[in-house]
Amino acid sequence: MGKFLLLAFRNVFRNRRRTVMTLMMVGGGVAGLLLVGGFFARMFWGLRESTINDGLGHLQIFTAEHFNREEKHVLDTGIDNWRQVAASISTGGHVRGVAPRIEFNGMLSNGVKSGVFMGSAVDPAAEQTLGFTARLASGRDLDSKPGGEIEALVGAGVARSMNVKPGDGLTILAVTSDGALNGIDVQVVGVVNTGFKEMDDRYLRITLPSAQRLLQSDRVTNLVVGLDNTDNTDLVAAQLAPRLQGLPQQLVLKKWIDLAAYYKQVRSLFSTIFVFLGIIVFFMVLMSSVNTLLMAMFERTREIGTMLAMGTPRSWIMALFVLEATLLGVLGAVAGVVAGNLLGVILNHAGIHLPPPPGTTSPMNFRVMHVPSLMIGSSILVIVSLALASILPAIRASRLQIAEALAHV
Amino acid sequence: MPELVSVEAVTRRFPLDHNVVNALDHVSFHVAQGEFLAIAGPSGSGKSTLLNLIGCIDKPTSGRILIDGVDTSKLNSSRLTALRREKIGFVFQTFNLIPVFTAAENVEFPLLVQGVAAKERRERVAAALESVGLSARANHRPDLLSGGERQRVAVARAIVHRPALVLADEPTANLDTRNATQLIDLMHDLNRTLGLTFIFSTHDQRLLEHTDRIVWLTDGQVVSDTLTSEVIPANIPLEGASHGQVLAARI
Repeated sequence: MGKFLLLAFRNVFRNRRRTVMTLMMVGGGVAGLLLVGGFFARMFWGLRESTINDGLGHLQIFTAEHFNREEKHVLDTGIDNWRQVAASISTGGHVRGVAPRIEFNGMLSNGVKSGVFMGSAVDPAAEQTLGFTARLASGRDLDSKPGGEIEALVGAGVARSMNVKPGDGLTILAVTSDGALNGIDVQVVGVVNTGFKEMDDRYLRITLPSAQRLLQSDRVTNLVVGLDNTDNTDLVAAQLAPRLQGLPQQLVLKKWIDLAAYYKQVRSLFSTIFVFLGIIVFFMVLMSSVNTLLMAMFERTREIGTMLAMGTPRSWIMALFVLEATLLGVLGAVAGVVAGNLLGVILNHAGIHLPPPPGTTSPMNFRVMHVPSLMIGSSILVIVSLALASILPAIRASRLQIAEALAHV
Repeated sequence: MPELVSVEAVTRRFPLDHNVVNALDHVSFHVAQGEFLAIAGPSGSGKSTLLNLIGCIDKPTSGRILIDGVDTSKLNSSRLTALRREKIGFVFQTFNLIPVFTAAENVEFPLLVQGVAAKERRERVAAALESVGLSARANHRPDLLSGGERQRVAVARAIVHRPALVLADEPTANLDTRNATQLIDLMHDLNRTLGLTFIFSTHDQRLLEHTDRIVWLTDGQVVSDTLTSEVIPANIPLEGASHGQVLAARI
């Protein structure tokens, strides 16, 4: 077997120019996949972390009713004893903090013009503990211990529409938990740019006590749990689930991935694009390698005839060609992994910025991640492609008529 | 001596355009173990075709060939492969060494195919190379060897697995006189010392001078099968000569 492998290895380098060309093609395919896949992976990672750190958190706790029925009034399906639950959750391992939230909506007005908003109420101190800082375009974040005025953050679209800036006042109106209409005056302390225009056009954030006063309720919509590392999500979810049992309200724990619809859509779209690219590379390597390997087979016709004449089983000849192609694939994959990673490092240091993706307003940094699973997957792809490409030449070689092959010039 | 090869009424026809060419026409002869036999004749007389049939790398259109008592026409492809692997060694006109292997690795190849253990392979390769006087060139690749050395490596490769029969197709055709003479002496020595049976096709008079028996083919038919004792005069060109001319020269 060792000598057979040696023969295959030496045959790979018999025609060096052709081998180098094939290695460049295979390696280029692998490097291309690594760069595209690495860019996508970095994008997924960035989107995941920004989705979590923009306020989604790693885990969220809701009442079971929240998913089972529509609310008749705001906070109808909210959590009652949320302080007790938050205290219990906070003591769990890997938990950095728990932030209560209220999701509500209503109307806002500057006295001249009015519009709708999608509001959230937060505990600024808890949010800061978890690192959930608002992306301020101007002004400052909410103060956890405000003075007399009720503070509010508005989206850039809202500020533009309502013609307000930090320091200006707005009136917000919402339906209370009893179904009555209530209103409060707020002072805009900051303008937020979320990166998503549709969200900026509806964004409003106030403190939790202000919202509870507006909505006339002590409940919260949900509790957001922040962890020390996203990779611990499953572990902590499994640890925390028992603590939610036996409470007066039935509570459910949702992981960030269950709530990140946009992230899942983006990932699904780009994963499909990547698979498509992989298929193109696969067939590109396959088709060009068939031609190269057939040429190699024709050049060695007499040699194959000699080996067959000496009693070499035809299956060995076939195996030899498949082995040579597989070796070529392995070498090409190694070259591609090295080249892809080197190019990735160079591009990461080049500081390339891409235009804002659709629906966002912030430019994107071009960064490539070095993903081991991608390296293994791309390598397997081209190795399998080359092995498949060798089947036709291998079959032809193994079926050569010995006398004709020996007479081949 | 017991019979090793029996060629019985063998005919081989090849289709050529819209015609059929009779490369061999009812050829019959027998070869005993230990013979040193030449198949001679002008170009196109069917020498190589006959060697291919005896070497089981082609099949006769009719007739049969027995190797060591085995009717090769009744063997399937894998059995023919096994027969070639175990009983036959080949020496080709153009040496046909594997260019990426060293001389030793080329000689080792038939043993590799036979599944001989590594230690035994090393010993037998060393002995085979020594028998052809190329121990010092064992680790050289074919492109670093002269034509004569390459053909001696090919002979070592043909005998290393101790075959019953060595077939050589025009083995001296690509060699100069000095190398051709050395190769002829080598094959003759191996024939005498190891008792190997050699059948070779040739129209090289230098080789025919050392041959014990010549089967002469013309137009695919055996026109004579002669045990030789006299030496053919060196000034008679065999290529293109008729059987009668050669016989006359011998006398």
